[in-house]
Amino acid sequence: MRPMEYVADDGGWVMPEIFSDQALYDLEQKRIFGRAWLMLGHISQLPKPGSFLRTYMGEESVLVTRDREGTLHAHINACRHRGFEVCQEDHGVAHRFQCRYHGWMYGSDGRLVGVPGEDTIYYNEIDKRKWGLAKVARLETYKGLIFGAFDPDTPSLLDYLGDMAWYLDIILDRREGGTEVLGPQRWRIASNWKVIAENHGGDEYHIGFAHGSVFPPDLGSNRATPIPYAREVRPAIGHGFGVNIFPDEMSIEEQLSHSFVAPPFVSDYLIRSNEEMANRLGRQRARMELIHGAVWPNFGLVPILNALRVMHPKGVGEVEMWAYSLVDRDAPPDVKAWLAGRTAATFGPGGSFEQDDAANWASVTRSSRGAQWRSQPLNLQMGLGHEERSDRVPGELGLTASEINQRGFYLRWRRDMFGEARS
Amino acid sequence: MTNDDLRRLVSVQQWLYAEARLLDERRYDLWRDLLADDVRYRLPARAYVAQADCKDFSTWGVDREIGGAGSLALIDDDAEGLKARIGRLQTGMAWAETPPSMTRRQVSNVQILDVSDDGTLSVVSNLFLAKSRADERVLLTAERRDRLAPVGDGYRLKDRYVVIDDVVLASSNLSTIF
Repeated sequence: MRPMEYVADDGGWVMPEIFSDQALYDLEQKRIFGRAWLMLGHISQLPKPGSFLRTYMGEESVLVTRDREGTLHAHINACRHRGFEVCQEDHGVAHRFQCRYHGWMYGSDGRLVGVPGEDTIYYNEIDKRKWGLAKVARLETYKGLIFGAFDPDTPSLLDYLGDMAWYLDIILDRREGGTEVLGPQRWRIASNWKVIAENHGGDEYHIGFAHGSVFPPDLGSNRATPIPYAREVRPAIGHGFGVNIFPDEMSIEEQLSHSFVAPPFVSDYLIRSNEEMANRLGRQRARMELIHGAVWPNFGLVPILNALRVMHPKGVGEVEMWAYSLVDRDAPPDVKAWLAGRTAATFGPGGSFEQDDAANWASVTRSSRGAQWRSQPLNLQMGLGHEERSDRVPGELGLTASEINQRGFYLRWRRDMFGEARS
Repeated sequence: MTNDDLRRLVSVQQWLYAEARLLDERRYDLWRDLLADDVRYRLPARAYVAQADCKDFSTWGVDREIGGAGSLALIDDDAEGLKARIGRLQTGMAWAETPPSMTRRQVSNVQILDVSDDGTLSVVSNLFLAKSRADERVLLTAERRDRLAPVGDGYRLKDRYVVIDDVVLASSNLSTIF
């Protein structure tokens, strides 16, 4: 495999075959999902000792637990005896996980604590310390979000996020009490995972057209006109956000007038809590709004509608989408319920945005299987060479719209897959 | 079952069949007329959870699997939301339904569970929804828990709670009405 055949040196084109090639997909499981920090959930889903949830890292089934002492653990959800998935529930509370095949028993910290017949048919010779659940090498949280990585040598989560963390704080660290998630909603999309992830990271261009059913049809002639306060930011290749950067002197009321309309009890809350946010993060970030984004490789965000989602790969042409709503933990219950309801109404499987996105992504993936089409490059040149820097925010900037983040996404893919570096 | 009960059951069945036909024929303008002004339309998410007590069948209930604390409904529409959902299809830019899915609904197992003092019926039915579009062909099954208010010769849908038989939805979207 020669990387230059898949992604241009400047990221300006990409070959469709990366969405349909089985050998590349298999390699991604090792070189991307086997190394990167992957989003596993939120601490609010594990509220007490014994709380557990089941999720995926790549195609690996993973069990995330909180043990009796309150410490978080992540292990591959498979019995060390025959590989049966020791946890068959999605979430709950348990201090023991017993394999249903032959009855091996594990603690919520992953240790093997019981083997039927240990003193008879195993002659007391089995070393239980060596046969605990396979540990996910790295487990860290960032302001409520739980991440895991299989590679023991991967940089710390903070280093991995880099300047991305500065932006994530805008949604994760608004208030003293932090955040919580509702969800997930789960559904299957017949799409390669990258088609979905790159859309979250950088595709402001599609909003006026692909989502024309939600917005007035005259919306900036399908984003032909840059939006005054909005920019695409690229803290590092692979990570990216679309953000509104409003002037520091703008009032919060005026800032909200540029966003989606909310009923008074919700906008009153957002106005009230903005003061706390300004105290915690400074005036500048209190005047910023994250619109959409992606954390490499498969964690997508639409913060403007409180949506978080993870695109779990399920084969080269299939994704299991897990979607959450992120809300301030200390927001009033009616505000949380309204915001979560809006997430479902827009970015749930029946959401006004999501329905059409899924249909589009499936179509892109379907095309990529064509023997002729798979080696016709796809154009990613919007704004190429016009990237800028600002002394106000970290990272490189492009206009909204710009494909700066899609280029970054595929350059990161090329680097992680083939070890090639480019700025 | 008295003759009145039987007559009412048949009228509910015929109403549900007619409703399903309107949706299969995409006659959303006529379907919208079947909704009460304060209609609610919900599809809770479902999850695999442990039984509270395996020895006690009364704890094996379906309701334990749906809409638990911290869950996020797949769809939770009030009247305004449901009308917006239908209205969106008429913009010509609702791409998931442009061209439209081909659907076939089978409604069965219709039972009237309760009649309230104001005549509102609590009705359960099973729905088998086959949907085909592009290269996606999905078969979805659900229990529908409806509340129907009698109006003239027919009914208005006041509430529909759809218990879908999937934890991971076997469909790339929920662009069709259940």
